[in-house]
Amino acid sequence: MFSGLRERLQAARNRLGASIGAAAEASRPVPAEPSAPSTAAAPGKNPTLADKVKILIIDRELVVSDKDVAEALDELEMTLLESDVALPVADAIIADIRTGLVGKHRRIGESVDALVVRALKSALLKVLGSGFDLPAYIKTHERPVKILFTGVNGTGKTTTVAKIGAYLKKQGFSVVIGAGDTYRAGAIEQIGVHAERLGIKIIEHQTGADPSAVLFDTVQYAISHKIDVVLADTAGRFHTKANLMSQLDKIRRVMKPDLIIYVDEAVAGNDAVVRAAEFDRTVGADAIVLTKADMDSRGGAAISIAHTIGKPLLFLGTGQEYEDIMPFEPGAVVEELLGSGA
Amino acid sequence: MMMDSLSDALKDALKKLAGKAIVDRAAVDELVKNLQRALISADVNVKLVMELSKAIRTRSLDEELPKNTNVREHVLRIVYQELVRLVYATADLKLEPQVILMAGLQGSGKTTTTAKIARYFQKKGMKVGVICADTFRPGAYDQLATLCAQINIPCFGDPKAADAKKIVKEGLVAVKDQEVIIVDTQGRHALEPDLIQEIIDLNVITKATHRWLVIDAALGQQASEQARRFHEAIGIDGVIITKMDGTAKGGGALSAVAETKSGIVFIGAGETIENLERFDANGFISRLLGMGDLQALAEKVQEAQMADEVDMEAMMKGHFTLRDMYKQLEALNKMGPLKQIMNMLPMGNMQLPEGVYDVTSTKMVRYRILMDSMTPKELDDPGLINSSRMQRIARGAGGTPEEVRELLKYYKMMHKTLKGLRGAGGGKLNMQRLMKRFSGMQ
Repeated sequence: MFSGLRERLQAARNRLGASIGAAAEASRPVPAEPSAPSTAAAPGKNPTLADKVKILIIDRELVVSDKDVAEALDELEMTLLESDVALPVADAIIADIRTGLVGKHRRIGESVDALVVRALKSALLKVLGSGFDLPAYIKTHERPVKILFTGVNGTGKTTTVAKIGAYLKKQGFSVVIGAGDTYRAGAIEQIGVHAERLGIKIIEHQTGADPSAVLFDTVQYAISHKIDVVLADTAGRFHTKANLMSQLDKIRRVMKPDLIIYVDEAVAGNDAVVRAAEFDRTVGADAIVLTKADMDSRGGAAISIAHTIGKPLLFLGTGQEYEDIMPFEPGAVVEELLGSGA
Repeated sequence: MMMDSLSDALKDALKKLAGKAIVDRAAVDELVKNLQRALISADVNVKLVMELSKAIRTRSLDEELPKNTNVREHVLRIVYQELVRLVYATADLKLEPQVILMAGLQGSGKTTTTAKIARYFQKKGMKVGVICADTFRPGAYDQLATLCAQINIPCFGDPKAADAKKIVKEGLVAVKDQEVIIVDTQGRHALEPDLIQEIIDLNVITKATHRWLVIDAALGQQASEQARRFHEAIGIDGVIITKMDGTAKGGGALSAVAETKSGIVFIGAGETIENLERFDANGFISRLLGMGDLQALAEKVQEAQMADEVDMEAMMKGHFTLRDMYKQLEALNKMGPLKQIMNMLPMGNMQLPEGVYDVTSTKMVRYRILMDSMTPKELDDPGLINSSRMQRIARGAGGTPEEVRELLKYYKMMHKTLKGLRGAGGGKLNMQRLMKRFSGMQ
């Protein structure tokens, strides 16, 4: 997963390391040169004590300048953009890495590589924030925990509801699904088939019914049957349609969800940022699910959305089967992206 | 939001080019940089953007500045031409019997679009049939059947069957009386080899006339890669952009078109079955860059140029006769009402009183008639015109000497204004001054 981004980031990391390394090479005093096959990288020979001291002093004085890293950072920015990180977000990350690197004295004994990795890693972690442990959340909150799914058309809300239903059922929770997409033709049939296959109770009205009513009924059912979790599907809607957004607001008022989960796709480009911000502003979002992560080895949308609305990523959808869902752990992902030794 | 600030940056960069008579390397570089950012934010493939901007930069700097065009228009036209070159391969669409195979990623909007296209052909008087080959997604058949029932189009499918190939074979027999047959397929992506094989098979079975790739307007950098794989598998010959009613710019579709060397057939923008439009390159590019009507401007500048050559250089040097003014008015006339021209120019938010444009444009017609009544000598040297000449000119044009006086006053004002343009200051400021003088003439 995200292997594309990983390769690119690792290339960028090497490149940054090389730039700084080159700068260090250049700042080395000339007199050291003639006798200096032995300087830094002559593994065969034993460096003399004088050499060692020299390296120590020079290395200690290595200060990274803006110029040293400018080119490599430009390249890193391109890498991020090619990986679908939205432009303003890429700008922010680069600025962050730059402040993390420029003007820093390298610690004695610390390799260039480590310096770079540290800057990259802290920038990415800052963006991705902490993850979100759904089972723990459910355990510590009053039942039924009501979860509302929102997002634009075709991002995979219905499939995600089914997958999360399957996941929670496996964790031992009882689940009921509310078929709140009463607009799209075939949507109720779609979620109905999923629920039947998974053996999850579904509450549905007819196509064209008021989604708030369906979801209210679902919550009532959960209360009277002591169900742990309510999963509320909704119709996809664009953030630009004021009446559909106010319908969503009404749903929120009526069913009073504990969690609003915003669903978007990992392949979305720059617009991901615009719509996530708009959904967050109008109806709120507590966590994010990114679908179709298997289509895309780049994962830039994860970084963009998380950075824009500052909400944790809950799950990644990684395929067409019910078990193709993965809890998101930012630490692990960053570790994977930057490879070992970080 | 963010896009607006980008297109503002683009406009600012263009403004810097506005007042210049020669192409300024630094200003072009800045423009190209802003253009890159705008395109990348619109999700156009990064490599494509780099190629594009390189071409624009080279052409802007190398090509000779056409007469009668300022640097901004020159560069804008190149930008527009380069973008059009990318999207203008017209995807052909004939009203004749044909089989259309729909392909695309999950959730891109294939099923909705299938129904919309069926409606499109139906409205054109064709008999249409639809086959649902999506055997995977629950509710897919119900969705398509419901949509087709709304418009009375036969829809073949079987929600219980699992073999798409078998359904399509049966379906082709079932709807063989229809002229246009549209085959909706399951969503798939390039990394699913089984599904890619399936669509290759479906393409063989249906002997599809068209294989259209449905692209979500929000699709990002992945668009190139996905389009390439689909193209390799079945030879995409048209792209449909969906969900253009949101804020996404559809740059991914541009990448897809570049990758498949095909054109954009339709644009879907709305949830109802009627919300499908034929592709319009101009509107699409304007949206991509967040700027006004570029095509109209590009074309009009070209026309005006061909018509007559106004010697900008000479005018800038302060040599401006009635003859020049005549040409200028003629050129303006060809470019359409002044108001339209001002709207086309990315000049920022210049607010002008409504009356200014109309009065001036009717007056301009009048001025030209008056000038038609002048001798060549008078046109070259307006200083010659005394009161007896004025009488003659007015009589010849069917007007009054007062009108001639007003024309001369206007000429003097233009003369002064052009001198002002020559001076320091940005183009916008001078433009405002110019407009102020225009309005003073009412």
